[in-house]
Amino acid sequence: MTTPLLPEPVTESVPAPPEPGTDATAAIRCPSCGSEVTPAAAFCEVCGTRLDPVSEAPEPDAEVLEAPIELTRPVHAPEPAAATAVPARPCTSCGGVVGPDGYCETCGTKALSERDHYTEQPASWVAACCDKGVRHHRNEDAAAVAADPQPGSRAVLVVCDGVSTSADSDVASLAAVRAARAVLLAAQPVGMGTLVSRTAALAAAIQRAVESANEAVVAHTAPQSENPASCTFSAAVAIGDLIVFGNVGDSRTYWLPDPGGVERAAQLSVDDSVAQARMDMGVSRQEAETGPQSHAITNWLGKDSPDVKAQTGSITVADPGWLLVCSDGLWNYASEAEALQQLIHDLGGGGTDPLPICEALVAWANKQGGKDNITAALARLDRAPAA
Amino acid sequence: MAEFTAAVYQNEFLPDGGTDVSAIVTVTCAGAGSAGQRGAGEAGEIIIVDTSGSMGRTRLEAAKVAAAAAVDQIDDGTWFAVIAGAHQAYLAFPSVRAGAGMVKMDSGARHGAHQAIRMFRADGGTAMGTWLTLAGRLFDSVPFLAKKHAILLTDGENHNETPEQLTNAILGATGKFQCDCRGVGVDWEVSEVRRIAQALLGTVDIVPQPDQLQAEFAKLISDSMSRGVADAQLRVWAPQGAQVVFVRQVSPTVEDLTARRVAVNPLTGGYPTGSWGDESRDYHVNIRLSAKALGQEQLAARVQLAVGGEVVAQGLVKARWSSDDALTTRINPEVAHYTGQTELAEAIQDGLAAKAAGDAETATQKLGRAVQLAAATGNDEATSRLRKVVDIDNPETGTVRLKRAVDRADEMALDTASTKTTRVRG
Repeated sequence: MTTPLLPEPVTESVPAPPEPGTDATAAIRCPSCGSEVTPAAAFCEVCGTRLDPVSEAPEPDAEVLEAPIELTRPVHAPEPAAATAVPARPCTSCGGVVGPDGYCETCGTKALSERDHYTEQPASWVAACCDKGVRHHRNEDAAAVAADPQPGSRAVLVVCDGVSTSADSDVASLAAVRAARAVLLAAQPVGMGTLVSRTAALAAAIQRAVESANEAVVAHTAPQSENPASCTFSAAVAIGDLIVFGNVGDSRTYWLPDPGGVERAAQLSVDDSVAQARMDMGVSRQEAETGPQSHAITNWLGKDSPDVKAQTGSITVADPGWLLVCSDGLWNYASEAEALQQLIHDLGGGGTDPLPICEALVAWANKQGGKDNITAALARLDRAPAA
Repeated sequence: MAEFTAAVYQNEFLPDGGTDVSAIVTVTCAGAGSAGQRGAGEAGEIIIVDTSGSMGRTRLEAAKVAAAAAVDQIDDGTWFAVIAGAHQAYLAFPSVRAGAGMVKMDSGARHGAHQAIRMFRADGGTAMGTWLTLAGRLFDSVPFLAKKHAILLTDGENHNETPEQLTNAILGATGKFQCDCRGVGVDWEVSEVRRIAQALLGTVDIVPQPDQLQAEFAKLISDSMSRGVADAQLRVWAPQGAQVVFVRQVSPTVEDLTARRVAVNPLTGGYPTGSWGDESRDYHVNIRLSAKALGQEQLAARVQLAVGGEVVAQGLVKARWSSDDALTTRINPEVAHYTGQTELAEAIQDGLAAKAAGDAETATQKLGRAVQLAAATGNDEATSRLRKVVDIDNPETGTVRLKRAVDRADEMALDTASTKTTRVRG
């Protein structure tokens, strides 16, 4: 989200939930409570909802066999329509029953929809958490991640942040991250190219992902819209020790090695923003990011996009650490790479499971005020120094 | 089938630390059909006519014509009875001594009722409590009645029983049947009869001239016959820890329902609304919440209508805390309008009470405020009624003078109509 100058519309729209389980690359989730479930589970271990595992898995065809990412089977709820329309999980505030009108029947708290708060963890070392925040009425952030099972092998992290002054940005941003992830997954570097050629190929893939995400945003814009949907874009692909990244707008990619190593924490992406332009002119980060129009972005995706072109870059890393892609809902409260590095260290307590850390980052930002939607996507890069 | 819908008018935005949410909920019924025709139970009507000595020949003859006209408006198949009321209540029709005290309308019963009404004689005092008690017993004698409605005509003050006796009789009748009350002439007490009508979910009005009775009675019964939904309950759910400050009906008339709450469950209160025809009623609910953080949203109330224990319409009253003054200071026009109309009713009633007590200063001030509110909320009917009681110097400031000579009927009409409200929308 950027420059929320106008109050949000009073009308409510229930954004399409991210349809967990229907996406071939997403982790399988209970359609009732959103918890992860195994493909064979007949019941959700968290909420007890009856699941419908596809016990006889379809014969994988040739295409599937070549796919680098482990495919997951769809999980069916007994009444999928009801499951998407009514969040059946208990009230987040008091634990009460959520009524069919979407409010708790005990304390009246508005239930979080699947779109308001969701997580993804395609592999043990990659996860994302995307949250509405405290102040905003809907979640216009979106995250989509994918990974090969082998830790440190290959990860794709995509974050888009819908511009809240435009219409349907919540739907558009979700479509954008999914379109981009699909492009980046298909862009398997072929052959034994040099580092330079691999990097160039991945940068080109990121540019294609941006274009595909842009098409998705435009496709979710009403033709006559005076406020066409728009969003930022930040994506990173990690393959072994190589990270290639690209962004449009002010969502960011950071490399955050564990403290005490040789490498320094760094913001890899460069914002398309007024604040960044002022920093380029010599204004301090502190002043630029709090000054006038600090959240105005100078490039975005959407029908009225100035230029659908990502600023891309790459880095090779050696130390163990975290690759973070996030929206400004997080970095508003910790912009310096060192601050984020310290924050992850403090919140994670040295753990290497990315999901609890993503959730802790979101919870921390909410605690700071949660003025914006918050998204954190993490990949743990944990090469042993000797290897 | 009758279909109910609910619409909510409110400003859901609260400032930081704000706690009170006000909303107008409009409940509309369509396709109500006729009373007793839905198969969900039958309809019963009781006509109660004052036959005390004070009625005299002229009024009693007019009351007989009116009662006969009312009987003619009762649909065949509807259970009915006629009560003659004096210091005691007499079952005038049907003439039974045991068993069901009501009969089904048909041509024979209609003829019998006409004959019984013709026999009325003006004699004795007035004890309206006994009339209500008999009506309640008659309705009880036909256990399968779903819709129970009575009309009551009186002409004088309730001399032959104590206020406590009347209160007890009203309590005994409350929830058993609905009752529309009419006073003929100017010798009856508006506040006394209003007490009956309010408790029994009916209306109160003055019929100044006896020759107006016939049309009034015919209309009351035909209106009742068109209320095909026998009974409905307004329900207000409020979150745990919240306080329902008040629940009022504000259209077509102002009725404070707050004290009539019965618990449906720990968080939901039920309020009786009586029978429904094809109509809209507006309710004003006010809920006090504990303040939440800026940006949070929560439900302040579910306002529902339940028929036969089943919720048939629901409106959601919401609360959202915002730091945007442009949002939080906006005044919802419906809420403002009905807040003014409620105050208008109070100002009229207080002003007339002060006038009756000889407190001219308070009367002038209250009626002046009423003039001001009637003008501000566009209630032209109230303005024209007020004009008959006070001389208006300036409606905007509410500067008025009490008229020296006021027709008592005009004053009573102002009183009985004080709770009638105008709609803010077309």
